[in-house]
Amino acid sequence: MIHLNEVHKSFTVKDRKTRSSKCIDAVRGISLTVKPGEIYGLLGPNGAGKSTTLRMIASLMDPDSGSIEVCGQDTKQKPEAVRSCLGYLSTDMGVYTRFTPRELLRLFGEFQDVDPLVAERRGLHLLDKLQLSDFADVKMDGFSSGQKQKVSIARALLHDPKVVIFDEPTTGLDVLTAKTVLDLLRIMREEGRTVIVSTHVMPMVEDICDRVGIIFDGKLHGDAPPREILQSRRAKTLDEVFFQLAAESEGAN
Amino acid sequence: MRGALLIAKKEFLELTKDRKTLFLVFVMPFLLYPAIFTMMAKLGKRSEDQNRNKASRIYLVDPSATLVPILKADPKQFELVAKPEGDLRQAIRDQKLELALEVAPEAGAALQKQETFQVTATVDESERASNIALKRLKGALEPQEKNWIQTRLKTLSASPQLAEPLKLEVKNAADTALEVGKAIGTMLPYLLMIMMYSGSMQHGIYATAGEKERQTLLSLMATRLPRIQIILGKLLYIFSIGVISALLNLVSLGLSISILGSDSTSSVQTMSAIANPMTLGLTFMIMVPLGLFFANFILLMGIQAKTTVEAGTAIMPGMFLVIFLGVFTMAPGVDKMAFLSYVPVVNVCLALRKLFSQQFSWLEYLVSFAMTVGLAGLMTLVSTRILNQEKALFKM
Ligand SMILES: Nc1ncnc2c1ncn2[C@@H]1O[C@H](COP(=O)(O)OP(=O)(O)OP(=O)(O)O)[C@@H](O)[C@H]1O
Ligand SMILES: [Mg+2]
Repeated sequence: MIHLNEVHKSFTVKDRKTRSSKCIDAVRGISLTVKPGEIYGLLGPNGAGKSTTLRMIASLMDPDSGSIEVCGQDTKQKPEAVRSCLGYLSTDMGVYTRFTPRELLRLFGEFQDVDPLVAERRGLHLLDKLQLSDFADVKMDGFSSGQKQKVSIARALLHDPKVVIFDEPTTGLDVLTAKTVLDLLRIMREEGRTVIVSTHVMPMVEDICDRVGIIFDGKLHGDAPPREILQSRRAKTLDEVFFQLAAESEGAN
Repeated sequence: MRGALLIAKKEFLELTKDRKTLFLVFVMPFLLYPAIFTMMAKLGKRSEDQNRNKASRIYLVDPSATLVPILKADPKQFELVAKPEGDLRQAIRDQKLELALEVAPEAGAALQKQETFQVTATVDESERASNIALKRLKGALEPQEKNWIQTRLKTLSASPQLAEPLKLEVKNAADTALEVGKAIGTMLPYLLMIMMYSGSMQHGIYATAGEKERQTLLSLMATRLPRIQIILGKLLYIFSIGVISALLNLVSLGLSISILGSDSTSSVQTMSAIANPMTLGLTFMIMVPLGLFFANFILLMGIQAKTTVEAGTAIMPGMFLVIFLGVFTMAPGVDKMAFLSYVPVVNVCLALRKLFSQQFSWLEYLVSFAMTVGLAGLMTLVSTRILNQEKALFKM
């Protein structure tokens, strides 16, 4: 279970040219709930605030105001408890290339306090599902980006998390591998986990997401099943909805 | 604390997985010093042998043949050569011969008349071989000269002691172990500090800014481990690797000296000067907080940097500072400036310097120790405070 209540987050950045500090409101009052057994899709253009939102859910960042609950725990008060029940993956996450996948997973099993034998078994099972078991004992410095991404996925799911947060899980993956990942997400839904993913890939959203939220300029627009969004917007595809929202936000500015 | 240990373990595991790094850390010191020492010993020995075994080539002008018998007495020491072509001085500089000796033509007559005669030796003082030739010449002439004096005194029927109103006997008061200890005491803290800092720096950058660069830090932070434990784990690693580097280098240095120099007695004294458990223990004890201080600085700079290059730029000046302070404290007279025992880092160098030169004072040592511990503790507080912020870890 994930619950966000009026979450805000801003960053101060320096403008090199004007030499002044600028405040970027990355997330401006987002509230949403994701239930167990549900895949929630977070959509939005670049810089909309998707990753920031997901990082806050994963207790990697604290919201400036508002609150977030994951597995019944507040992310600000109990970040460790929150993290031990969630699996987090993002595109900008690397793997320790000096290790083999098996060594890496053993290590993260220790970090997550999983029994070594259980971690070994689960790790190999995940690698097998991701069609990477042939490479379990190969040093990762020669791995392709897709192979590394698969190892990252296994790493994120190793401790059997109730909540799964994937930030653009299919970026850089070929269609076959992307399908493997999507299948894995479906399995997790069937297992009753709470899943939230961010993506730019619209067909994927229509395919697997039970509900979607579209973020524009740090605000959530529409929080409903994909079909309902299409109907209410009288659009054929989510791309069309995107264009509409872009035009609206331009008009508002 | 378990989390910090896990992180430190991960860092060491990563280190061991890379053969090249492993080699550089653990094997290199044990190859480097023996290699340097063997080479130095070999080179020294070779030129020594060359000079010792070869007779000095001397061009002798001695019309009255006064000194000829002396120089011909020992062909192992002197070889009389013909006049070299061209300029004599140039020939000496070109090492075609080592020494030219010109005895005044009236030498024989002067000797008979009990007068002084002139002998001129031309050498190249910048050449070792020439100096050896001169020394040998003086050695050979001295007994002969004494002999002549005695003969002259006898003809005057005076006491042989007439020409020797005083006899100077020089006894060396210096204790070799102390001398060596002093030399080591000035060098050692400097060496240790540099080794410790550079060890921590190299691996510290890899484990901090390197993790950001390789985008692995986020995966650590996404685990259940508290952020502070990750920071402390990194600190523990950076600190240990510095201490380990310093220790390994030290052990290798000590072994090289003792094994390769075992044929001479001075090295035994050298060893006893270094390998005194009390001295070593006190040295190690004060290096520990210093290492922690260094590790904190490296961690602070390393985690806040986005790339390894940026981290290197921030951390390198610290190295220069360490080198500068080390060189500064090696200077003579510095150990007499009392206020320096209150300047951090410098006071550690000074305390160690005194420790090795048998001028040890517990008060000074304890002041330095307490100050360094305090400084390291303070620095740990500051760096964990600063780094335990979202800003430091997500710097953009
Ligand atoms: N650590 C940070 N420091 C400063 N600004 C940040 C930071 N993280 C994000 N931002 C800013 O916040 C805004 C939202 O960024 P975010 O990464 O959440 O976007 P996103 O929706 O994930 O975009 P993308 O699709 O490109 O991944 C951007 O303007 C970004 O520049
Ligand atoms: Mg993003």
